[in-house]
Amino acid sequence: MNRREALRALAATAAMSAAEATFPGVLFRGGGGASTAGAQTPPAEAGVVWRKTPCRFCGVGCGLLVGISNGRAVAVKGDPTSPVNLGLGCVKGYHSVMALYGKDRLTQALVRKDGKLTPVPMKEALDLVAAKMAETIKAHGKDAVAMYGSGQWTIPDGYVASKLMKGAIGTNNLEANARLCMASAVTGFMTSFGLDEPMGCYEDIDHADVFVLWGNNMAEMHPVLFSRLLERRLKNPEVKIIDLATRWTRTSMAADRSILFKPQTDLAIANAICHEILRNDWVNAAFVRNHVSFHEGKTNIGYGLEDKFAFKDEPKTITLERYRELLAEYAVEKVEALSGVPARELRYLASLYADPKKKVMSFWCMGFNQHTRGTWINNLIYNIHLLVGKIATPGNSPFSLTGQPSACGTVREVGTLTHRLPHGDVTDEKARKQAAEIWQVPLERIAPKPTYHTVEMFRALDRGDIRFMWIQVTNPMVTMPKLRRYRDALKKDDRFIVVSDVYPTPTTDVADVVLPAAMWIEREGMWGNSERRTQHFDKMLTPPGEAMSDAWQMIEVARRMGFEKLFPWTEANHIPEIWREYSRFQAGPEHEMASYDELRRRPGVLWPFVNGKETKWRYNGQYDPAAKGPFDFYGKPDRRAWIWFRPYEAPPEMPDAQYPFWLNTGRVVEHWHSGSLTRRVPVLHNAVPAAYVELHPADARKLGIANGQRVRLTTRRGGLVLPAQIDGRARPPEGQVFVPFFDEGYLINELTLDAFCPISGQPDYKKCAVKVERA
Amino acid sequence: MSVNRSRLFLIGLAVLLMAAVVVVVGQSLVADREPARVLPVAEATPTLPSEAGMYARAARAVDYAAMPTEPNRKRTLAAFYARRASLGAPPVIPHPVEERDASGKTCLACHGDGGWVPRFEAYTPVTPHPELTSCRQCHVPLAGSESGMRGSTSTGQITQPPALRGGVMPGSPPPIPHGLEMRENCRACHAGPGAVDALRTTHPERVSCRQCHALGAPPAAAFARPPEGGAR
Repeated sequence: MNRREALRALAATAAMSAAEATFPGVLFRGGGGASTAGAQTPPAEAGVVWRKTPCRFCGVGCGLLVGISNGRAVAVKGDPTSPVNLGLGCVKGYHSVMALYGKDRLTQALVRKDGKLTPVPMKEALDLVAAKMAETIKAHGKDAVAMYGSGQWTIPDGYVASKLMKGAIGTNNLEANARLCMASAVTGFMTSFGLDEPMGCYEDIDHADVFVLWGNNMAEMHPVLFSRLLERRLKNPEVKIIDLATRWTRTSMAADRSILFKPQTDLAIANAICHEILRNDWVNAAFVRNHVSFHEGKTNIGYGLEDKFAFKDEPKTITLERYRELLAEYAVEKVEALSGVPARELRYLASLYADPKKKVMSFWCMGFNQHTRGTWINNLIYNIHLLVGKIATPGNSPFSLTGQPSACGTVREVGTLTHRLPHGDVTDEKARKQAAEIWQVPLERIAPKPTYHTVEMFRALDRGDIRFMWIQVTNPMVTMPKLRRYRDALKKDDRFIVVSDVYPTPTTDVADVVLPAAMWIEREGMWGNSERRTQHFDKMLTPPGEAMSDAWQMIEVARRMGFEKLFPWTEANHIPEIWREYSRFQAGPEHEMASYDELRRRPGVLWPFVNGKETKWRYNGQYDPAAKGPFDFYGKPDRRAWIWFRPYEAPPEMPDAQYPFWLNTGRVVEHWHSGSLTRRVPVLHNAVPAAYVELHPADARKLGIANGQRVRLTTRRGGLVLPAQIDGRARPPEGQVFVPFFDEGYLINELTLDAFCPISGQPDYKKCAVKVERA
Repeated sequence: MSVNRSRLFLIGLAVLLMAAVVVVVGQSLVADREPARVLPVAEATPTLPSEAGMYARAARAVDYAAMPTEPNRKRTLAAFYARRASLGAPPVIPHPVEERDASGKTCLACHGDGGWVPRFEAYTPVTPHPELTSCRQCHVPLAGSESGMRGSTSTGQITQPPALRGGVMPGSPPPIPHGLEMRENCRACHAGPGAVDALRTTHPERVSCRQCHALGAPPAAAFARPPEGGAR
């Protein structure tokens, strides 16, 4: 094999799972494309049937093939026909099915009796949930009950939740944990483009020359996509990967250039890049003249630290000249002082974005979204791409990544958020009319005012404005910021908490009723990933004990509450029926969904799916059936993309004499979210069995802390003692510590701050002030 | 004649120098006109012991994938294990060395980047830690290796070698069965011509190894929820 053949082989192995390569001919012969085509193709190996599903874990949405034998999932490989991952997986995906079989899987309903969770028949628990919900509505009004769901809900789960809460009961008390992970991405899209979700898709990676990763440790958090970047660079050595981060990670190591900046100064850096583009006249003048308009909004917008905080932006249209004046503050030399990034690096970044010969892709995820100016920083990155006209064409792509398998598909598209309906906002009469018509409920039933976003919803529960909360597929007692306040709220005597989950967690610990849920491929559903791809999976396994899908749990309760007419489906047909009903909301070239049959046939379909064709690049007339002309940003009334002037504003809490360090939180590649699934997978648990605090070696030396020694962290919210890790997985800069949040044994969110972006309501888990001592 | 020749030589030299000046100045002028093309500045980047080698030698991935297998390899798995006393122990040196060869420079001439050694008719194994140059601090010559390459002379093993390719499910990527101390550079031992066949990855073109292969040793206690379900 020569080098050329090797390169070809590289492409070919992309279409063959690593697992398959490890065991040539043992189990995988005859696998590959054929087995995905019909999902029920006869197995090539005795007793093993391969069936397609998106991965259970992150928002990348890798296509997997799960090997089923004797009613059990026994193996996993990457689906070579999936355009997402081309046959490759990550360590979580390859071991994902083991999360179905943890020893302490919840298999029966539990009801708190005399302070103890006691097993009861599922029917009895569902009766109790329905009775309590109805009773609370009667006593305290419909806005006293709430549903808190998840970006791990399937699309049908989210749809049933929306129909139950907004269509049947008539309250907007519906939120999902995706508020904590991508709300700022949504408000960023809405304010810049008027429509949610990326204009491009993963295929952009195959066209781009420069990848700029903003506060995004992609090597660990989106490993399969990162491998696509590495492969792109391996085949094209001129391709550059730039890592812009607040902490030195695996991603920094693999990047061609690593640039560290001080927390929160990404706002100033993005503005400095725009300033430099304007100063050098690198603007794509024709694009800006025809497709962009300029705006500014309120400044000094607050942090939401107080209950019932409210904010409304006042957008003003401005000229390019006014925008240029406002940017004057952000000359690279000034930003160097603020951000710690040398002016020459800022110039270098600007030149990469501006180089007319280079196609540029930007990636970001929690570093931007979990940010008290999350909406602003999302706007700012679009500003850069818009000024140079590098958007909505193959390889030119600002790309907002997500962390959950259906944060996009369910929470954002179905709209399981207080202000949303399956199509449009509750404040929009047209959207309410459409929902009332499709749901066949009176228009007055659908409440026109949003109630609470997640943080405010838990605050309302604490105050007693909300008395009943049903939590599904998420673990807020690990993931809420300023956790103690909200845990105390859930524990209050006259609050009734229902939790649907697959394992006991700190959240089920404080529940009054625990409902065992069917997980992932134990039921049928669809998820939508970060690139607008909807992916269907069949029910392949029987759920254990009395476990039941989240959607069906809600339907059972809705029927008990007298809403049976709204949920007339059978267990056998409810998924296709829901899909048909839901698709009516999205009809039209801007968001047309593929049919149920199409979804079952393919490894995933990008929407808008019009006349049998996926839309890879939105707003681009060449690809997008809804766009008129070469570019058409039809989400905004002026059919232009909006550049926003957004200034740098300091975070609400910064290191000071008493709390001299930054506290940053996040994940590791082996664990996902609150760890309730990945810690039940021995391979993953074994690799990273417990949380730790990362320190810079110089700080450790100063404090007299050795690797593995116990360290006390204290913030204004609380304290925690955990082992030190020095130069392990990553290295924070001096003056910063990092703690992963997957470990329920070390609840780092007791220390974090519940400040949020006023526009999106999404809290900032990446920045607060902490004291660090040897314990 | 000879005067002419030296004059010609001097003129030629001057012409060459002028041409060089034109090229250098011209390039710098052109470079100046390029938009903000700042030369990368070498910066001290941290080295994380367990992570450092993740992407080392990644640029060779394509060549490794194209590499033919060497027939009749002497460097067998048995020989590989025989040179190590235990998991993670430094292998002994199986070939003759002279005291004056004790500097890292000499060792790295072959073991830094590998390559074919006609004398031993074999590809040289590559060190996973070329930054450590006091080689003989840990690696000592095997007794009896004075003449030629030794085969599988035992070093007196104290631990069993790990099972190879042991994924926990059929086809799942095997966890890393050894510690990473000084062996964090996966490709040094698992790819390239010097690697033992049985230890070679089947997919050297995949460079982000620990995306799929989790650290498997030492084993942690099975996951159990903390007693209160809350903070420790």
